[in-house]
Amino acid sequence: MCARMHGWYSCRLQSEMWRMAELLIQQGLNWITLGCIYALLAIGFSLIFGVLNVIHFSHGDVAMTAPFICLALATAFGATSPTWLVLALVIAILAVGLIGVVLDRVVIRQFRDAPAMMALVSTVALGIVIRESIRHLYPEGSNPHAFPRLVSGVAFEIAGVPVNWFALLVTVLTVVLIGLLFVFLRMTPLGLRIRAASEDRVVARMMGIRDGRVFRATFFIASAIGAIAGLLFASYAGVTRFDFGIMAGLLGFSAAVIGGLGSMPGAILGGLIIAGIEVLAQTFVPDGASYRLVFVFVLVIVVLVFRPAGLLGRPLMEKV
Amino acid sequence: MSALLTVEGVTMRFGGLVAVNNVGFSLAKGAVLSVIGPNGAGKSTLFNVITGVYKPTAGTVTFAGAEITGKPAYDVVERGIARTFQSSRLFGDLSVLDNVIIGMHTRTRTGVLDALFRPAASKREMAACVAKAEALLKAGSGDLYDQRYRPAGALAQADRRRLEIARALASEPKLLLLDEPSVGMDETETDALVADIRRLRVENPELAVILIEHDMRVVEAFPDNVMCIDYGSKIAEGSFATVRSDPRVQEAYLGKAAADA
Amino acid sequence: MQAEASAVAASPATPSKAAAAAFVVLSQLGGAAFLYFLLKADGGWQVVGLLAVLGLGFTLLEKFPQVAEFARASLASLPLLTIAVAAVVVVAFPFAVGSNTYMLHLLIVAQLYAVLALALNFQLGSANIPNFATGASYGIGAYVSALLAINFGLSFWLTLPLAALAATLFGFVIGIPSMRTRDTYLALVTIAFGVVVQQLLNNFDFTGGPNGLVGIPAPSLFGHSFADPLVIFGHKLPSQANFYYLSAALVVVAIVTAHRLHGSRIGLAWNALRADEIAARAQGINVAWFKVLAFAVDAFLAAFAGTIYAFYVSYISPDNFTFLVSVTIMTMVIVGGMDNIFGVIVGAFLLTILPEKLRAFSDYRLLFFGVVIIGFLMIRPQGLFPQRMRSYGGRS
Repeated sequence: MCARMHGWYSCRLQSEMWRMAELLIQQGLNWITLGCIYALLAIGFSLIFGVLNVIHFSHGDVAMTAPFICLALATAFGATSPTWLVLALVIAILAVGLIGVVLDRVVIRQFRDAPAMMALVSTVALGIVIRESIRHLYPEGSNPHAFPRLVSGVAFEIAGVPVNWFALLVTVLTVVLIGLLFVFLRMTPLGLRIRAASEDRVVARMMGIRDGRVFRATFFIASAIGAIAGLLFASYAGVTRFDFGIMAGLLGFSAAVIGGLGSMPGAILGGLIIAGIEVLAQTFVPDGASYRLVFVFVLVIVVLVFRPAGLLGRPLMEKV
Repeated sequence: MSALLTVEGVTMRFGGLVAVNNVGFSLAKGAVLSVIGPNGAGKSTLFNVITGVYKPTAGTVTFAGAEITGKPAYDVVERGIARTFQSSRLFGDLSVLDNVIIGMHTRTRTGVLDALFRPAASKREMAACVAKAEALLKAGSGDLYDQRYRPAGALAQADRRRLEIARALASEPKLLLLDEPSVGMDETETDALVADIRRLRVENPELAVILIEHDMRVVEAFPDNVMCIDYGSKIAEGSFATVRSDPRVQEAYLGKAAADA
Repeated sequence: MQAEASAVAASPATPSKAAAAAFVVLSQLGGAAFLYFLLKADGGWQVVGLLAVLGLGFTLLEKFPQVAEFARASLASLPLLTIAVAAVVVVAFPFAVGSNTYMLHLLIVAQLYAVLALALNFQLGSANIPNFATGASYGIGAYVSALLAINFGLSFWLTLPLAALAATLFGFVIGIPSMRTRDTYLALVTIAFGVVVQQLLNNFDFTGGPNGLVGIPAPSLFGHSFADPLVIFGHKLPSQANFYYLSAALVVVAIVTAHRLHGSRIGLAWNALRADEIAARAQGINVAWFKVLAFAVDAFLAAFAGTIYAFYVSYISPDNFTFLVSVTIMTMVIVGGMDNIFGVIVGAFLLTILPEKLRAFSDYRLLFFGVVIIGFLMIRPQGLFPQRMRSYGGRS
């Protein structure tokens, strides 16, 4: 019909434009989904750095243990009903929170007052230990393992483009988690102490905010949020593998640094920027999918050179 | 003769906090200036501005005829201003001798290629540095020379202050900035410190010194030139006797009530 | 205080010439024998036994510092003899190994890693800059020389300096952000550079993509191809011996470089900014420049190692130059001892050979590295051989 009314060429143009719009919306959804996942990872990096002044480089690896724990539990339960799945998810999230607390206690806290280099290198090594442990301890750990979409189907349509439940779930979950974290950090005594510790470590210490509770809470929350991000990531990719943690960690860390370490809004902004670059590269650059990491990390380098404290971070002035 | 150091209208603001407010003074070759004032008055910040650690919000610093405002710290040292830090910042895991030799960095020239392809020249340079450093360690009070192979981090408090001075002198400065050199020293050690500074001035009559001091025994020993800073502003300047009797200085140190009494 | 100092100076510092000479010869032969048996060891128990011997040696050195002091004094008092014996040991080693090409291969790899670890030591050890891009510099050296040889037919000897030049430029480029960033941020920049280089190698057509480059021609010297067996005084050594001597020569270059820089004002400036950046600046050290310099020197040496590696295996792919290679090099520096040349080399040899020898274990190599790094950083951050104070000939 179109062809008869406007001539073939105009019709083709119209359908091109239509396809373009469709693509844009589709990629926009991808961007938000991925951006939310990275933001959740970045929040963990930022939270831990704020309180301990230590970069927990293996945070991504900790987060990516969650899908494996979840799969192991699901297999153990031997059931596939939604209730069992939800139970497996919840246990995995809590377990990863505990893993974070244990790693802090055993390794990371030892380097709190050491030169930054030592904490960095030891957590890089910790990441290797976690990845290799999954590889060797989990059955068929070297192979990719399929991970189900937590929710499937189409929720509604925007201009004819289907928005699936999963994208909606990720977005809503991220907003809710960030809201809860915000309330926790501002309204509860423990949250306030975490904030005090991250705003001014010295003063917080003088005020006696030094107890392990702050550290435990910080690591539990950061790791549990990371676990949620890890589960969403595996679910988004449809698969998980022992070495996903390294990229998840690098991208989450980059997001936190681009936004400004220690800044929550920065972490969210950083997550969206990193995901944006990835999606843009994949959509508009020929062969961009293979070069997406190049784009991401060149951006990281550029931001760090021109704004060493990140986009929303406060420039640090060292006391002399 | 023009002044060695001229500080004009220097203001340093950190966010809303004015650490140094429109301070100006000048210093001739061979002179000693003591800067006094309560804790947090902005004395160390003034040092940091002069030595290029901070770039002042406003004002200029002129040294030996050239403006050095906001020049990088390493450049300022090269021009002849050396300093010590209030909380001594030694290279703790290096030996006492190495600390002093590092102080000679601006007076030595070996680059990577020289070190690799002209090892004899590099060795000669180091040997000269060692000899000079040992002489500096022997000259000062205390027994730093005997401790020259100990790590600087293992030194006692008074020795740390002495080593910082020796390290600053190693750069052959025209102007020496000492930030509370007598902290952690007992009376005998403080007297030795005063004697050390006097000796330096005799050996090198052109050397100018600025002292930040709380210990009035030290200030009294160099009474010609004293400046008092409070809340970032200069409130008095002149001889020790003048400054001491200035009511604003007494107020700054003792509080208003005591000054009125 | 004085008594303590003079006691240290007086007691073991002046071993008799004969005792010192005997020690110099015996200790180096002993070290060579240990290495030989370690390379020869077959099966876990022999390795464990040798490690036990090593552990015992260390415990003794820790328990009796006089012994360590005597060793140092002996080696320092007879530098020429020390170097001569070392040279004889290095030259003679392939003759002892004979036709065992696997042992030679391990030695070559260990020596290349020793060079890489010495390169990284300029930053990690001397200046405490965490650089995760050494693997990338190594890769750039390998790829640049391989491409020049394959596409332009350049000889190995010409590609060597060109590759080093290219990698040094790369080192300057990574170093530039170090003027503005520190610690964690700088580490991320080096990681980012490493990932970018590896991804580009993986994606470019002219680098062969994930398949890499094949058929890198063997070098030749005075008409002798390095692919041919080496005949010395009628004694025939396998072709690997060529590369063994070549990499040994590179180790010598790396040691001389490290030694000269460490002993000059440059090494001191690096140590100063490691201890306290602000104080270093107050001594007139242009901190940013010296950081960039550390990156450039690291890249320069790493590129040499990369070139030799490429021509030795004649096949390179991006997988040889990942982030994990950088971490491996870092482990060697940390285990051996930061800023200690001898220690770093020992670290490189141990961590190259041990995982190969513990076959049952070789799957767990990375896990082992990870645990070793964490263990060392927590229990013995100074490494097996801690940094020593500079002595300036004033004290042994």
